Amino acid sequence: MTDLQALVLALLQGVSELFPISSLGHTILLPAVLHWTNINRADPSFLAFVVVLHLGTALALIVFYRREWLAIVRALVGSVVRGKLSGDRYEKLGWLLVIGTLPVGVLGVLLEAPVRELFGSPAPAAVFLALNGLVMFAGEALRRRQLADPARADRPIESLSYARSVAVGFAQSLALLPGISRSGASMVAGLLCDLDHEDAAHFSFLLATPVIFAAAILETHYLVEPGSHVVIYQAVAGGIVAAVAAYLSVAFLTRYFRNNDLRPFGWYCLAAGTVCFILSKMGVLS
Amino acid sequence: MKLLALALAAVFFVVGLLYGLGTINFLTKSGAEHSHHVSHLVVCWVIALLSLIWYRFQTSAESAR
Repeated sequence: MTDLQALVLALLQGVSELFPISSLGHTILLPAVLHWTNINRADPSFLAFVVVLHLGTALALIVFYRREWLAIVRALVGSVVRGKLSGDRYEKLGWLLVIGTLPVGVLGVLLEAPVRELFGSPAPAAVFLALNGLVMFAGEALRRRQLADPARADRPIESLSYARSVAVGFAQSLALLPGISRSGASMVAGLLCDLDHEDAAHFSFLLATPVIFAAAILETHYLVEPGSHVVIYQAVAGGIVAAVAAYLSVAFLTRYFRNNDLRPFGWYCLAAGTVCFILSKMGVLS
Repeated sequence: MKLLALALAAVFFVVGLLYGLGTINFLTKSGAEHSHHVSHLVVCWVIALLSLIWYRFQTSAESAR
């Protein structure tokens, strides 16, 4: 992997992990479009590089929401020590995140490898990317229908039930499919649970943090695995670039979703997925 | 429900241990190739821990009554 490729992939990871456009889908499609045939996604060195990128992304999210995470951890520990729930906002949010993380934790460990083996090539990733766009359009359409119903009003995150948090967690699990966005799927599920765009994005980013961090930690063995000759300066620089890109992305998106919706990302995913699928069928993608 | 929480904790603890020892290889990345499936072990033990927390919530609610 050249330095330029490492830089582009780090930037892509940091941005596309949080924008609802699927980081996994993009890391499959972009090298195929640019004919980066020297990159082998199964190579231990590449996997080690990806681990560092994920660590950078997770750290950026933790730093961005540091005060909230501190309050959540404090509230969770307090409730376990007391053995009961106090009704505190951060305590409820913390347990919603714990419960919501379970589906992707279990499904991720059990299904990640077979799913990637089945769908980890450009054509399926392109189809799922286009589908991701359609899911966002459908989510926005259903959201508009909800808003028209006077019986349904927007609710704060803490008012979510644990069952709904599990539902959002299951939606997040769809991101195991390359091309389906973690934040997009969980945001659409959040919108359908009566959260507004800002809260749906907020809950989605908080929910993504432990998953990205745990996935990176569980894969740190790639850094020391035989055959892994990760170039240290590329990995360190890549991790920093991914962290900065992720921090700026989450800062931008939290502002963006105050007044905007998912449709621009839906258009992008639909167009990029369709074009990549056509290119793959024409044999243009490597 | 208390019994269910304890039973779940015990089951997930043992299943995690078996994954860690490589005794079971169901739905693992490398099948029987690698003897230790650390991520499966971690997930099972996290669920076991959450089951114990659930048990704790139930017992303290009972004693408060």
